[in-house]
Amino acid sequence: MSTRNTSPTVRPEISGRAAAGGTKERSRHGAARRRGRSERFAPYVLIAPAVLIIVALRLYPLALGVNFSFTGDGDANGTAVGFANYLELLDDPLFQTALGNVGLLVLLLPVAVAIPGLLATFIFLKVPGHRFFRSVYFFPAVLSPVIVGAIFNLMLAFDGPLNEFLGVIGLGPVDWLGDPGVAKFAVVGVQIWATFGMALVVFLAGFATLDASLLDAARVDGASLRQSIWHVIIPSLSQTIQFVFVTTMIGMLTSMFGLLYVMTSGGPEGSTYLPEYYIWIQQGQMNRPALASAASTVLFLIMLVVGLLQISVLRRAGRED
Amino acid sequence: MRRVAKWVVAVPMAILALATIYPLIFTANVAMKTRREYVLDRFSLTDTLHWDNIAAAWNSVGMARYFANSLLVVGTSVFLLLWLGSMAGFALSRLPFRGSKALFIGCLAALFIPFQVIMVPLSRVMADTGLIDTYPGLVLAYVAQFLPFTVFLMTSYYRSVPREIVDAARIDGNTVYGVYRRIMVPIGRPALLSVGILDALFCWNDVLIALLMMPSADHRTLMVGVTSLRGQYTDNIPTFASGVLIAAVPVLLVYLFLQRQIADGVTAGSTKG
Repeated sequence: MSTRNTSPTVRPEISGRAAAGGTKERSRHGAARRRGRSERFAPYVLIAPAVLIIVALRLYPLALGVNFSFTGDGDANGTAVGFANYLELLDDPLFQTALGNVGLLVLLLPVAVAIPGLLATFIFLKVPGHRFFRSVYFFPAVLSPVIVGAIFNLMLAFDGPLNEFLGVIGLGPVDWLGDPGVAKFAVVGVQIWATFGMALVVFLAGFATLDASLLDAARVDGASLRQSIWHVIIPSLSQTIQFVFVTTMIGMLTSMFGLLYVMTSGGPEGSTYLPEYYIWIQQGQMNRPALASAASTVLFLIMLVVGLLQISVLRRAGRED
Repeated sequence: MRRVAKWVVAVPMAILALATIYPLIFTANVAMKTRREYVLDRFSLTDTLHWDNIAAAWNSVGMARYFANSLLVVGTSVFLLLWLGSMAGFALSRLPFRGSKALFIGCLAALFIPFQVIMVPLSRVMADTGLIDTYPGLVLAYVAQFLPFTVFLMTSYYRSVPREIVDAARIDGNTVYGVYRRIMVPIGRPALLSVGILDALFCWNDVLIALLMMPSADHRTLMVGVTSLRGQYTDNIPTFASGVLIAAVPVLLVYLFLQRQIADGVTAGSTKG
């Protein structure tokens, strides 16, 4: 610019145009730079609300809760008590029952995975009515545990339809929700009834990625259905199976509250307690937030350990194939 | 499998289907009976439909109020979830910036924190900020609970959008926000629908968060309302069943029309994970 101005030989109109072009360019440049600066922060602006909410209402409470669990309740509110809450938990028969029931759930887990897996296999093989079966099986999975629990309160009542049916085929009535030895199996049964459709749909999505020619080859080689499942389907679906194991376990440990709340309230005789119900009672009814936080931390550790264990066990099983 | 074998397997599967449907039919049938009919015979199909049970549950028990509460809370929560989730998903998938990977992993980690583990400290945070027992408080609790899932699914969906589309829109002079509004939102519609339905189901079906965040009776959501029916109507099963039916029908309708989208959302994590 300056050279042009000092040179009198340059034709003015051109110089004028050039100068005008120059300012336009400069301003465009400035706008781009300004835009560039606001654009550089754009990703952070877009993600900030989500990050703030997740940090403030999920990660921070997690740390806060672990911290709570080492403090006292009531008069000792806020003072450090070391592991006292954890020791009290281990001494509490209700919490022991809750942990025992977690063990029961872990033992029943293979059943809760195998049933939808087998049903998905049959649906994949297009048994008559497979579309209908798929739609019907999946439906309870979208119902609230509250609704499922309320419905089964009616179904499992002492004078309800299930006992009526058992009476017809000559079996005595069972006190499904009133007998401490039976109630926990009744509740787990209802949980499986309500959620096997979820796992079924996940299995079917896995089957959709399965290489059909492998199955055809197995059939041509004269493999039985059992051999095909064992040597073709299970190895090919190992990732799906792993996913179903982990999500079913998480579901059993964290989504049975509604069922327990509506069907048994933890009873009879505390026999259907699970950690999540124990946390709720200690926090909501007994006003023991620190003790509840300790139970929360234990539940978190259980889920972490069970999840990691399953993944490593299934990985090893996958490698051996 | 041979044809005969398939038919043999179909029989127990049909029985299982019946066992899956029967409890729902039984409940609907009971809801249509008078108390007298119910006491005399619970099982036979009712010959006359008694809608008065439904009306009674809707009006006098307060299901109408609970229903409205649920609609308000779930609607607001899902809107916020989709809005914040799609913005974050766009940034994480298609905008290079420092810390993007760390934030995505943090979001995944938050996905594995169950509500039970943070419910005690969260209710204290809500109490300290005066949000407990308010609609914004419950909405925030739902948004926080389901946001990691929403961000995760939106991020993986937007990863399948070709980078060229974003670049072309930028060259056309769109700002990043313009690309979000004009390209990413319309293009993300299938995923927003799928995730939105799932979020709506999660919020609609929840009872634990609502119980904890909304202690007072007139703030009850529909599911909390159903749990309160149990104590009140132990001697009037048809009214109880009617309340359950009112709570179940919206979900049934959503299921009938959008089953495919629900299944897509449920399985989205399994094939990519």
